[in-house]
Amino acid sequence: MNALPARDREPSSPGAERSVDLIVDRAGKTFETARGPVRALEPIDLKVARGAFVALIGPSGCGKSTLLRMVAGLEQPDDGGAILVRGKHPEQFRKEGELGIAFQDAALLPWRSVTDNIAFPLQILGRPVKGEAAHIQSLIELVGLKGYEAARPGQLSGGMRQRVAIARALVTDPSVLLLDEPFGALDQILRRQMNVELQRIWVARQTTTLLVTHGIDEAVFLGDTVVVMQAQPGRIAEIIEVPFARPRLPSLFSAPEFHALCDRLTVSLHGEGAHP
Amino acid sequence: MTAPAYRENARILFGTLVALAVWELLGAYTSWGVAMFPAPTRILAQAFADRELYALHGLATLQTSVSGFVIGVSVAVFAALVFCRLPGLELAFRGVNITLFAMPAIVIGPLLVLFLKGDWPQIVLAALMVYFPAMSATLLGLRTVDPRLADLVAAYGGGEGVLMRHVRLRGALPDLFAGFRVAAPLAVLGAVLGEFGSGTRWGFGAFLLSALPQGNPARLWGIGLAASAIALAGYALFLLPARRLSASSTAVTLAAVQPSARPKGGASTRRILLALVAVALPFLIWWLGVTLSHVSPIIAPGPGRTVMFLIEGRHAAAARAALGHALGQTLPIALLGLLAGLAFAFMLAALSLLAPALARGLLPVALVAQNMPLVAVVPFVVLVFGRGTASSVFMAVLVVFFPAYVLLHQGFTSVPKAASDLVAAYGGGRWKQLVHIAVPYSIGHLIAAARLVAPQALLGVMVAEWLVTGVGLGNLLNISRGGLDYDMIWAGALVSILISVAAYEGVGLIERRIAR
Repeated sequence: MNALPARDREPSSPGAERSVDLIVDRAGKTFETARGPVRALEPIDLKVARGAFVALIGPSGCGKSTLLRMVAGLEQPDDGGAILVRGKHPEQFRKEGELGIAFQDAALLPWRSVTDNIAFPLQILGRPVKGEAAHIQSLIELVGLKGYEAARPGQLSGGMRQRVAIARALVTDPSVLLLDEPFGALDQILRRQMNVELQRIWVARQTTTLLVTHGIDEAVFLGDTVVVMQAQPGRIAEIIEVPFARPRLPSLFSAPEFHALCDRLTVSLHGEGAHP
Repeated sequence: MTAPAYRENARILFGTLVALAVWELLGAYTSWGVAMFPAPTRILAQAFADRELYALHGLATLQTSVSGFVIGVSVAVFAALVFCRLPGLELAFRGVNITLFAMPAIVIGPLLVLFLKGDWPQIVLAALMVYFPAMSATLLGLRTVDPRLADLVAAYGGGEGVLMRHVRLRGALPDLFAGFRVAAPLAVLGAVLGEFGSGTRWGFGAFLLSALPQGNPARLWGIGLAASAIALAGYALFLLPARRLSASSTAVTLAAVQPSARPKGGASTRRILLALVAVALPFLIWWLGVTLSHVSPIIAPGPGRTVMFLIEGRHAAAARAALGHALGQTLPIALLGLLAGLAFAFMLAALSLLAPALARGLLPVALVAQNMPLVAVVPFVVLVFGRGTASSVFMAVLVVFFPAYVLLHQGFTSVPKAASDLVAAYGGGRWKQLVHIAVPYSIGHLIAAARLVAPQALLGVMVAEWLVTGVGLGNLLNISRGGLDYDMIWAGALVSILISVAAYEGVGLIERRIAR
């Protein structure tokens, strides 16, 4: 089991600690608005093992993006909750350059070339860029953008921009990768292609990955574990294991057992009364 | 170049040639044309005869404008960087910034002469006029950061310094150049207005003052056109880099979250404190400037003395009466000009929607004309309207109309397509769209335009009074300047600045109420 609700607050043995990359301990989030506080996320518990691929899925407002942003240290959990990434606080962890992140929109610097955009995290971390040219080139080839090194974001298609964002998230050789609906803006056909690509990249590296998604098939195809969340207030409804062996082939998308699991997820998302 | 753009350019060229030909005919062969609209060939001939004067005056104004521009934008960019890092400081400097935006620049020239020597009064006035548009555009550019990029920088542990260096500075460049573009013509206007106040010998301001009584229409037109040409050259200089940069800086997709320009939150006591500082700071700077410059308090009184000049003492009643009389002449005309200019601009912008050909013809003219220095139209106004009240009104309408039309045209054309499609889907024509969609939609733009041009209306009337009609507040300041009545210069400047700021803030208050 790669992800489990962490009911016990202290890990029983120090040895178990090492294999867990991410601990979410009673972390909730309440936003202050003009009309009073709004609870985006109930205090939740979650553990993610090293090298696991965990997909977070749920309707809008279920707090899945908030959870991811808390792991990235972009939001602070409410008092009483804590998040530890490899035993460190997110702010400390990200300063060491161990975190990779990609958002729903590529969010590239429009005035920079593909190569320079991929190098940007290195600059933020204050690392030398010059020695990394070969590494960056290999990432460009990994995401299939060879020949586009000098192109500006405006000259690329949506799918290509998203691949640049993935390469950028990998440039620091992160030990934890956070993906916030990275393919949410792409059409279904392109999205499937990117799913296959992402799996290929992930299998090569086995980086601990947290993926936020709207797509049931995406979550099942990519995840070792799918965390189903529900809204009002945001909470974890169920954690479902995905049994399919890796590497998963595109043909899996049309397999009956794949659809069966997707239907099972649909029920979990919509409650017992839903007809898949 | 695409074929329609080519045809459009050909049409503009043809229209310009026809207009020039008509102008030439009227200006050469009708008696009123000779007096008011001297033919282009005559203006050129006169300019050629005056070429040595043009070289001397033109060079002086050019030098002043460029120096003022460089100083003004340097301070503006520095201030924008500081305000971006410390938003509280921007709130504290709000009073200073708005004063610099709203002040009728013509009243500042005579004050600067009291402190500065040589060309410096004109240079500083040009710099003061450049400051606000350059600062606000740069600050807007620095603040408008794609929130996703800010998240990205934060996710890698980067702080505000990294964000500034890699994202904000480069992202602000198009806005920076857009600000420079607007500021460049203002530097020329500031230089010329400063020349009026300083009584300098060389410069287009001096040239215009000496030419006004001579009754040589061709020379007056030449001066106006030459001053406009310098100002528009400055505008054009920054047009190209701004276009090139914005093509490579615009985010490919829109950010879902709009960045908030105003710092959010903050304790209310801190806000009240900052607001008080904002009001006090301009007066503090005045007091400091007067004290530190060691100029005699008779020549350069502080805020206290200037207020007392109008309240107590032997001459207070007379001073109040003179100022009140002048205001009674100036303010109604400024208000009339403001309302007429806005109404005219609103009607024409609405008509442009019904008849798009009108907009095609008028918009380029308005875009150019709003950047023409105000003083450049003085010759035209004198020749056509003489030296009566009509000149003042026309001048105010003119300075209000062009920027208001450009803003309102934007308002009318930014109506969401879905809204007009809805009207069309139920069989409504252009008129129905105008009444139900475009006009209600553009009220916000109308008020925004009113806020921005209200100070301009006062400046327009005061320039006309100073140079042309010889009545009102503009004239009072000119006479006080000539008569070395320093207390009155300061009091007149204070009152006119306060009125401008009040007009700006007053319309802003209405604007905020409507936006709510």
